Amino acid sequence: MTVSIHPLKKYTRSHITRTTTCPGCGIGIVSQAILRAIDELEFNMDDFVFVSGIGCSAWIPSPLYNTDTLHTTHGRPIAFATGVKLGLPNKNVMVISGDGDLAAIGGNHLIHAARRNINLTVILLNNGIYGMTGGQTAPTTPRGLTTITSPYGTMEHNFDITPMVVTAGASYAARWTTYHPRQMTRSIKKAIQKKGFALIEAMSQCPVQYGRVSKLGKAVDMLKDFKVNSVKINKARNMEPEALLGKIVIGEFVDIEKAELSEECMNLRRKMMEAM
Amino acid sequence: MPKITIFRQACKGVDDCGICTFICPKQLFQASEEMNDAGYLPPEYKGERECTGCQNCMIYCPDFAIVVEKDIGDEAPDKGDENEQE
Repeated sequence: MTVSIHPLKKYTRSHITRTTTCPGCGIGIVSQAILRAIDELEFNMDDFVFVSGIGCSAWIPSPLYNTDTLHTTHGRPIAFATGVKLGLPNKNVMVISGDGDLAAIGGNHLIHAARRNINLTVILLNNGIYGMTGGQTAPTTPRGLTTITSPYGTMEHNFDITPMVVTAGASYAARWTTYHPRQMTRSIKKAIQKKGFALIEAMSQCPVQYGRVSKLGKAVDMLKDFKVNSVKINKARNMEPEALLGKIVIGEFVDIEKAELSEECMNLRRKMMEAM
Repeated sequence: MPKITIFRQACKGVDDCGICTFICPKQLFQASEEMNDAGYLPPEYKGERECTGCQNCMIYCPDFAIVVEKDIGDEAPDKGDENEQE
């Protein structure tokens, strides 16, 4: 009888015996989906550079993945990743971070990386709250939700990240929840192979800071919530805006081909070398 | 027959997490009575005969704590995509 080993264990550091997340957190599901996508594509982990910022979900690549990782300052992983991609154009550069990091503090970097259409894969884990610092209201918190800093419910409207990135000019953008890890894996595979800016927004549950304070329940209840409230984008296009309140629109938002920045830079460099 | 392995020390407990008990279409997981080193109650697996090998438990486990191995040549029905919304 052989000893069973997890098929993705070869991609994680050998001294990590337990993930760093709280019980029931969706980060583990997304980190497995990313590794499964790389495994199914049969890519080498050494061809990747993972960049993360500050927050719970930034802990995915940094202690867990057995490859080159950059754990950067708050909100700036896309800025660092742009530099890595322009310096090493042959590497696959992947940014894994949370909504508080990429959409709140580093929102401008996200918009402008999408505008430049640089070949990055961005995995944005959206749990709708600042989980690591204690559960304060974030720009992605749904309107009316009770959090630790809004005991009467938030009054602000929330950020809709994927449509914003589509408007800014991304080549590929998709949104899935942690209830859809198989579809998420398929989208991540597409995003890695895409020449251009690719964003995967992974709606994730935070049972400790979000579920407990807002009384939405534990991890299982939040997964049930994702199951009930998810609407596929094809269906959502024919629905009234009032009917979509409180729903999560999932699916591929955009998938187009357009000129990419790091390739243009390489072409310019080659042209200048020839002219000299 | 698919083979299920649960890494008890990596698990964070059925009380707080319990995603495996919810996601299994046949409800084949339940809390065990023995704690692991961190004080969590990992699941135990009952009724191997009913398992279809859909791998839901392995894909949804946030802590890399469950492994499903299909036997080679074993044509288990792949019911994994039953929550597909396309």
